[in-house]
Amino acid sequence: MEPLEVLAKSKLSGKKTIAVMSAKGGVGKSLISALLSLAISSSNPTTLIDLDIHTMAVTKLFGLENKLHEVTKRGIEPFTIGNLGVISLGGVVKDKYVILSGSNNRSVMESLIAYSVINDVVVFDLPPGLGDEVLLLEHLTDFVPVVVTTPSKVSVKVVEYLVRYLTEKRKRPHLVVNMAYYDCEGGKKVRPFGDERAVNELVKKYGLEYTELPIDPLLEDYIGRIDKYDGVVKQKVIELARDLLKPRRDERS
Amino acid sequence: MHEWSVGEGILRSVIDWAKENNINSVKRVKVAIPSFTFLEADILKEAYDTLKKGTIAENSVLEISFKDPVFKCRNCGNIFTIREVINEVEKVKDEFGEEYPLHLMSGLAPAFIKCPKCGSNDIEVSSQEIMIKGVEVNGTP
Repeated sequence: MEPLEVLAKSKLSGKKTIAVMSAKGGVGKSLISALLSLAISSSNPTTLIDLDIHTMAVTKLFGLENKLHEVTKRGIEPFTIGNLGVISLGGVVKDKYVILSGSNNRSVMESLIAYSVINDVVVFDLPPGLGDEVLLLEHLTDFVPVVVTTPSKVSVKVVEYLVRYLTEKRKRPHLVVNMAYYDCEGGKKVRPFGDERAVNELVKKYGLEYTELPIDPLLEDYIGRIDKYDGVVKQKVIELARDLLKPRRDERS
Repeated sequence: MHEWSVGEGILRSVIDWAKENNINSVKRVKVAIPSFTFLEADILKEAYDTLKKGTIAENSVLEISFKDPVFKCRNCGNIFTIREVINEVEKVKDEFGEEYPLHLMSGLAPAFIKCPKCGSNDIEVSSQEIMIKGVEVNGTP
């Protein structure tokens, strides 16, 4: 018997879990995880769990670097930002780099879930790729996948592996196309990656629901205080949060 | 304080197992804990004894043993014990205090323990997780 696994499963039991994931790195998963969890927390107590244990980008986005989680009888207490709790390995190891092999990755991710104090809605920020993090979450809970890509053809092609995998597992990923366009004056959309053909083909092929997020250069000014950001990307993510919280087709039937 | 979470994990595991096996009462639970976590046995027992009240494990005794994992370097093949790297572990404890990373997450061991021979972090740890080694139930000798 492994208490770690039992505890991790029990922590997620009966909770709404959303996994922000991508087969491709550098597409904005952590940023979207942060904005999405903030948006959801405005109506539901929410926990953001940073499973990207090697980069711990979430602590950088919220300005939580070098801060340690408090540990009480309840477990690892999240950092709190309003109604949002944030859990990251950064709150355990500070700025120490973490280099680990596969089975240890899994153990540490499972520990973050098992030993933390978690709210009713959980948003996971996953590392890029198709590895232990996906298998572990599948094992622990029935999560809603949010798959992130940019409109770049190479990104869309790589992300298709994950979409195909999730579809085969009878999950229905919601695709988020990050950095899809600039909102210019006069309501005109400019698409720096060219046309949307690659994304449209993926959406059609797998019957995906999807959300496009605009580019906002001002976002960079909010790294370290992402909870204060109130620009165009946030507005779109609020709409995404509403969609994700609605009962899904498979839940309704 | 982390001992309370560990105690909860042990108790939940025992209760789940007992339910699956139609067991009504548990007598003894034996757990093995990696020594480098430095979990406090007294606090873990206190947590278990508090949390078990009102459950089918209410009359059970928690028996704790500490195990010294064996480390194997995948880079040079060196096999070593905690005693050979205890200074590194003590340094981490000094830096972080009571709730130090290996206390909270035993899976972090290779991130903090380097091979004493070649300095690699590519370390394999035998039996690094907290495990329930056995459960005695009422009706067993």
